[in-house]
Amino acid sequence: MARFDLAIVRLAAPVVPDDIRRDWRREWEAELAFEHQRGRGAAALAVRALGAVAHACWLRQDRWRWDVLWHDIKYAARTLLKRPSFMIVAVLSLAIGIGANAAIFGAVRAVLLRPLPFPAPDALVAVSTTTLERPDVPGGSSTPPDFTDWRRDLRGFVEMAAVVAGASALTGDGPAEQVPSANVTGGFFGVLGVPALYGRALEPGDDPVGAPDVAVLGHALWQRRYGGRREVVGSTITIDSQPYRVVGVMPAGFAYPLGADLWVPQRFSEEDLRTQRGAQYLDVIARLAPGATVAQARDEMRAYARRLAEQYPRTNHDRTIALHPMREALVGDVRPALLLLLGAVGLVLLIVCVNVANLVLTRALGRRREWAVRTALGAGRARLVRGLLVESGLIAVVGGLAGLVVAMWIARLLAALEGSVDIPLLDQTRVDGPVALFTIAVSGLAAAAFGTLPAWQASKNMDVARGIREEGSATTGDHRRQRLRGALIVAEAALAVVLLVGAGLLMRSFIGLVAVDLGFTRERVQTFNLSLPEPAYPTTAARSAGVETLLSRVRAHPQVEAAGAIFGLPLTNFGYVISMSTLDDRTLDDEESMERSVQVRVVTPEYFRAMGIPIRRGRTFGEEDRLGAPPVVLVNETAAARLWPDQDPLGHSFTIGTRMGQGDTRAGGVVIGVAGDVRDGGPARVVRPTVYLAHAQRPVNFLTIVVKTRTDPGPLVPTLNGIVTALDPNLPIYRVRTMEQLAMDAVAQPRLFLMLLAVFAAAAVMLAAVGIYGVMAHAVSQRTREIGLRLALGAGRGTVLRMVVGQAMTLAVVGLALGMVGAMASGRLMRGLLFGVEPFDLPTFLAAGAAFGGVALVASALPALRASRVDPVEALREP
Amino acid sequence: MRRPSITASSVLQALADGAQYGFDVIDRTGLPSGTVYPALSRLERDGYVRSTWEDEDEAHAEGRPARRYYRLTAPGVRALAEATSHYRSLLPALGIKPVRGRT
Repeated sequence: MARFDLAIVRLAAPVVPDDIRRDWRREWEAELAFEHQRGRGAAALAVRALGAVAHACWLRQDRWRWDVLWHDIKYAARTLLKRPSFMIVAVLSLAIGIGANAAIFGAVRAVLLRPLPFPAPDALVAVSTTTLERPDVPGGSSTPPDFTDWRRDLRGFVEMAAVVAGASALTGDGPAEQVPSANVTGGFFGVLGVPALYGRALEPGDDPVGAPDVAVLGHALWQRRYGGRREVVGSTITIDSQPYRVVGVMPAGFAYPLGADLWVPQRFSEEDLRTQRGAQYLDVIARLAPGATVAQARDEMRAYARRLAEQYPRTNHDRTIALHPMREALVGDVRPALLLLLGAVGLVLLIVCVNVANLVLTRALGRRREWAVRTALGAGRARLVRGLLVESGLIAVVGGLAGLVVAMWIARLLAALEGSVDIPLLDQTRVDGPVALFTIAVSGLAAAAFGTLPAWQASKNMDVARGIREEGSATTGDHRRQRLRGALIVAEAALAVVLLVGAGLLMRSFIGLVAVDLGFTRERVQTFNLSLPEPAYPTTAARSAGVETLLSRVRAHPQVEAAGAIFGLPLTNFGYVISMSTLDDRTLDDEESMERSVQVRVVTPEYFRAMGIPIRRGRTFGEEDRLGAPPVVLVNETAAARLWPDQDPLGHSFTIGTRMGQGDTRAGGVVIGVAGDVRDGGPARVVRPTVYLAHAQRPVNFLTIVVKTRTDPGPLVPTLNGIVTALDPNLPIYRVRTMEQLAMDAVAQPRLFLMLLAVFAAAAVMLAAVGIYGVMAHAVSQRTREIGLRLALGAGRGTVLRMVVGQAMTLAVVGLALGMVGAMASGRLMRGLLFGVEPFDLPTFLAAGAAFGGVALVASALPALRASRVDPVEALREP
Repeated sequence: MRRPSITASSVLQALADGAQYGFDVIDRTGLPSGTVYPALSRLERDGYVRSTWEDEDEAHAEGRPARRYYRLTAPGVRALAEATSHYRSLLPALGIKPVRGRT
């Protein structure tokens, strides 16, 4: 029978130190044999034999001379501190490289990796209505009847909820105030799995029309406005002029969607469910049933969508459903940019490692004599190499610690950015356990990268006699070492050029973005939002009159040049696309109707003047375009070209289905003017066909007031607020922004990425320059005698200068060429981030090449100048 | 020298109680072999235990290989006494009533 126990002992034997291995094996085999004889079972013996493994390991580790290692560390620290300049340069560059890596990793972790702050977040999905043409694009809103059908019929989900994010006015119990809020169906809190801190959250029982009006407060709002008093649960507050009973308070940190601080029920009447199969305004979230996968649920939903399409061909024929894990739906389009940045900082760290390796190597050259002496005195080669590795490790540890500090600093900076840059979860960026662990791993890798090569170099051909003799008198330096350092310089240059080209492409792309004409004037335009609560402004006439009065009072101010209002301000991610039902009195079939869908805006007459949007043809709305008068519309140039190609759009007409206002669900009219195109979605987006309805004819209760001022609008904001309050003290103004700010925010994300990549590229180029300088300076100092000899024999100073610069530039140019190849290879990864620039943009490549060449030239010119100033007499007299 | 750990103390105690071989100690203490052997090696390194090989002929007479046997040294006996009284002094703090030990 096979003796497993003996096999284990045999396997563990090599671990035991040589001198005691025989005795060790003899003892274990004897004990096991004894037990075997006593009739112990094979399994019990094998278990006991496992102890031999532990024993062997213990004996081995006991041999490690910890005291010797400790001595090495002390020795390394002493040597490093003796010439601190090396240590400082190495630690600083490592701190930058490691710190940047840790911080960007922290951001990646916060945005892409860390679980969402909900229980079992993997089961959370975002459900969106999409078109068959592009079935997987997240973010499409859904309609109430579709949602109600899904929730009733689909089995793959524990719960499903619809959300309409918005803002609500709180009045009565304090100053009027607008808070971010959400209308949610009863399943909302169940889907997210977060219970109320006090009282209860909303429940499916709150869904029916006619159930009591209840509200749930966010923690921040509860603290701020209600002083954290628990008695507020059960009390009645006024939301949008309507009484609501507070039923609960959510725990701190719960602010979904988008910083919401107040939740009220979203209800659908029978009529809504009958008439709104075309009204896409719900965001739907769901929790998968236990064990269900996203793919399964998606298949179930797609099959169901086909059934709905058969049942309601008019509205649903082109629709299908997309299901995305909630995180993906939240952060989808930032992923490539963040990963690109992670790659970029990785390159920076690589350059740092190359640089430090170079420094260590340079130092190693200067220490050959020390090593020769130590070898002569009996130090083993292993000991010397270990000493070098310990030095590298020490540098890495100190560099890693400093890097952690740098990381915390950058992380705080990134986290503070979220308000202005639209990257969800970025504010969660922090240096925590896993990030620290990542830092440790990166530092370890870095140490291995920059420590091993020099140690390996040092361990080779250590010729003691030569080492002792040679110091300071080399004529051409050690060729092989010089070549290795040259290779490092080439690598460094190549990496720096890749980053430089990347930053250059982003810069070109950003300049292109900023130069895009948005279609309106952004200077001196102040905007703020206003919602007229329905109970206080119940009729269309009341709303229209309220807004008109307000605008005329604003206009009366001497600093105001023009004032208008719009439903759907540009650059605010305002969708509202509606399909067309009739065009020039012709009823469109379903396909045509979808094809001709337009973006809808509602404006007052002076909106175009306030925004500086030109009227290309016809006129804007006038006093005569009132409620009751024939309905009229403006269209933008794109809509004009799309709807009536090669014709004069004036006098044509159309209607759209809409759910704005009460009663009549159709809107539209005769085209009286064509307005200039506006890039609603930002500079990188296409202009959508847009129609403008007259506010006097289709008043809405949510508007953005747009005020063009004669001077800087900032100081005017309190005055504007005063005008609103004087009109109605219960009307809060919110989202107070200038168009200038909105235009800046629209490019904030590309600007952030550009800035970060530019900083990384600059750091990379600087490090590469330092590397070139270091190598050339060292080479020159090694060759002082040779250069002196050349000068003495009649070489001109120009020749020496050219020789040194030429050598450096050869390395730089080889690196440059490799870098260009690398940049072309990585350009593919950048395509998605570029706007108006190809990844192989020749001017960018040329500029990056020229910039790097210039820096390399300067870096090599300094040592070259020093070489050309060598005094031949001095140089030759030196021993 | 540092005071022996509880594990080391129980190994010493087992030897004091008459255990002679590594596997005896394992059986008496109930500790796993992967704990007992390193402890024995460490105690030997620190001078609390000495090991010798059994006479080959004697063992062969019984038809088995020679075993290594361990015994306490004088410092080992002292360390055990010191450790026992120390650990015993901790018992009241743990709410355990001390009993008269065998040493």
